[in-house]
Amino acid sequence: MHLDPSTYPRGAAFDELIDASGAPRPAARELFNHLSKLDKVALRERRATVDAAIMTMGITFTIYSEGENIDRAWPFDIIPRIMARDEWRRIEAGLKQRLSALNCFINDIYNEQRIVKDGVFPQEVLAGSRNFRVQCVGHAPQFGVWAHVCGTDLVRDRDGTVYVLEDNLRVPSGVSYMLENRMLMKRLFPEMFQACDILPVDDYTTRLYETLAALSPRPSERPVIAVLTPGIYNSAYFEHSYLAQQMGAILVEGSDLVVGDNDVVYMKTIDGLRRVDVIYRRIDDEFIDPEAFRKDSVLGVPGLMRAWRRGTIGIANAPGAGVADDKVVYAYVPQFIKYYLAEEAILPNVPSYLCMHDDERDYVLANLDKLVVKPANESGGYGMMIGPRATASEREECASRIKADPRNYMAQPTLLLSTAPTLIGDDLAPRHLDLRPFVLQSDSLYATTGGLTRVAMRENSLVVNSSQGGGSKDTWIVDVRN
Amino acid sequence: MLSRVAENLYWLGRYLERAESSARLINATTQVLLDLPRNASFGWDVLISVAGLDNLFRRSVSAADEAAIMGFLITDEKNPGSIVSSIRSARENSRTLREVLPRLAWERINSLYLFVNRSSSTAVGRAQRIQVLEELIERRQAVAGLLADCMSHDVAHHFMVLGQHVERADMTTRIVDINAAVLVPRQQVPEDPSIALLWIGVLKCLSAYQMYRRHVSVQVRSASVVDYLLKDPHFPRTVRYCLDELESCLSELPHHAGPIKATRVAQRRLAGMKLDNVSPAVRHEYMDAIQADLARIHEEISSEYFCGFWTNLEQNQAQVAG
Repeated sequence: MHLDPSTYPRGAAFDELIDASGAPRPAARELFNHLSKLDKVALRERRATVDAAIMTMGITFTIYSEGENIDRAWPFDIIPRIMARDEWRRIEAGLKQRLSALNCFINDIYNEQRIVKDGVFPQEVLAGSRNFRVQCVGHAPQFGVWAHVCGTDLVRDRDGTVYVLEDNLRVPSGVSYMLENRMLMKRLFPEMFQACDILPVDDYTTRLYETLAALSPRPSERPVIAVLTPGIYNSAYFEHSYLAQQMGAILVEGSDLVVGDNDVVYMKTIDGLRRVDVIYRRIDDEFIDPEAFRKDSVLGVPGLMRAWRRGTIGIANAPGAGVADDKVVYAYVPQFIKYYLAEEAILPNVPSYLCMHDDERDYVLANLDKLVVKPANESGGYGMMIGPRATASEREECASRIKADPRNYMAQPTLLLSTAPTLIGDDLAPRHLDLRPFVLQSDSLYATTGGLTRVAMRENSLVVNSSQGGGSKDTWIVDVRN
Repeated sequence: MLSRVAENLYWLGRYLERAESSARLINATTQVLLDLPRNASFGWDVLISVAGLDNLFRRSVSAADEAAIMGFLITDEKNPGSIVSSIRSARENSRTLREVLPRLAWERINSLYLFVNRSSSTAVGRAQRIQVLEELIERRQAVAGLLADCMSHDVAHHFMVLGQHVERADMTTRIVDINAAVLVPRQQVPEDPSIALLWIGVLKCLSAYQMYRRHVSVQVRSASVVDYLLKDPHFPRTVRYCLDELESCLSELPHHAGPIKATRVAQRRLAGMKLDNVSPAVRHEYMDAIQADLARIHEEISSEYFCGFWTNLEQNQAQVAG
């Protein structure tokens, strides 16, 4: 047998597929049964097939560099990440619970602000929020829902606990890769899909369509849905086009749309102007409407906010939804769940220290070498300081930034992300990973089955972002009871 | 259909057709070259004139020998009309059209692009040129077949077909035109066998030789070849056929008055051309006139359906429909 789990060099981290004794976990047994039948040559052949398929299918992400956009093939590992269905069901319930509480919060914050008046959420955090949009105050979108698509990052620490690391409520991406990964795996290991009970993932685009269609201001007609992209140079362009294609929606750029004097949004077609009902926007708030936000934006549509406030167009995610996509607001989500839903949080937060509180700040400053410090409003890992890996001067610089603007910083203990066996050369080696499920809400709630597993391909690295050497794996939710 | 998408589809049609026509032209020339008598000369730079790229070529390439010209026409990324550039533009366009085109079309165009990237430099030398370019044509035809058979013949398809036929008609006139130019200095005996050979080359380059022999004559005479390639209503690469195709596509689109009118002007002019016993110089003027008509059809399509339309509309504050 070539790929033998008992010789797998497990590290200190929790491993998703192999237990401490070196045996495959129950959900992964079938996979290893199957892998044991493949020798090196067969394995290499499968990998070559998958690489060729990625090239031909053009599954790429774009890196913009030196004035040119370079398409990189999507780095994909053929060993799946596997989770048992029972564990997943609990996580799924936790994800839905979390998104509905977050939406209650956003709706409250732009309207009555009960949670502030009741003293559960501090006014000063709100005042310091960079993603709070005054232009949205007093608006009541359909179903009271602002964040219709949420990408929640989950990580597992060394004791096996799954934590929520962050909620991406602005323009989360990656779902197309989740779907493409599954397609690749079906091409690669069709026999495994017969042998094991792997739950399907491909209803996502249908559910996304339904979520968006429910926002149409003209419910009696078949809605015209547009995916608004910044254009071909955006790193997620592949996904924008993929989702539009899968949903039968129209992929538009800002310049394709125009808002009439009647505050209705139209697109410019060869047959004149045609009304648009719902926009799934993949452009940040700040750029969607130069009349309301940044005047210099050429990506947006002048007047879009007017139309939205008049209720002639549904926008997902609603402008302003990013107010809850803030590392400090994050720390309050368990309280939101209690306050709005009268429930206990199913999924725990990573313990967090808010630098705006004096005692917590003192603790953070005294333990910078053990903590990860994050700015409140950045995404993609920007401005983060990983204490144990930082130099003394980096830590000092971080300390002074915290003191200058305590509201904008929070800290968490350094987690040891779980690993899964990954094919490196001809052998299996542990690599750290996370999981981004996608959760939808409009008239109902939905979570993807599993999600996108991102994996740090470099040994010992904890950075899973594709721009920094990260790859991905197919994620299998397996029913092991049969 | 978004105006921007319609424009991208139109150009996708043009780019793919341009790459195929260039490959055909180069292959045919290479074949003819091997058949010419030893004392006959062939000007490689003539190929550049066919493509309408004289100025750019003179500015960027010093030597006008076979290798330099092949490089310029096949692989030069600075030449927007080169095969590599055309295929790259086609791929970039289809990237923006993935939600409109059948999924497999994107995969095939992408794989055509990967093939061209991989193999085009080997087509510069004579040894593998024909083989590589034939494979390119084959792959391009696989794309064409897919688009013809696995995509609804809807508005999106019409715009692609428009671009394809404007480009194709233009290339046919250029190919006819160039042969006339080559023959001028050597035309002492009108039906010199080497001249017949060149016209056979022209026919073969358009895959029309066999059809010409079946429908016109076994003998290859310049006047009848020109007449066939311009006016035959049934062969898909003739100017007449392309114009008819444009007309029928346009008739299915909204607001087609302007473009159809321009197409009919071109059709009438073509029908009125007397091609028997005309001098090469007159023939050249004819080709110029057809090319100008095609350019006008392009402008009409562009201003009716693409960006120009919207600039005007916004300026005029025209009313909003539906």
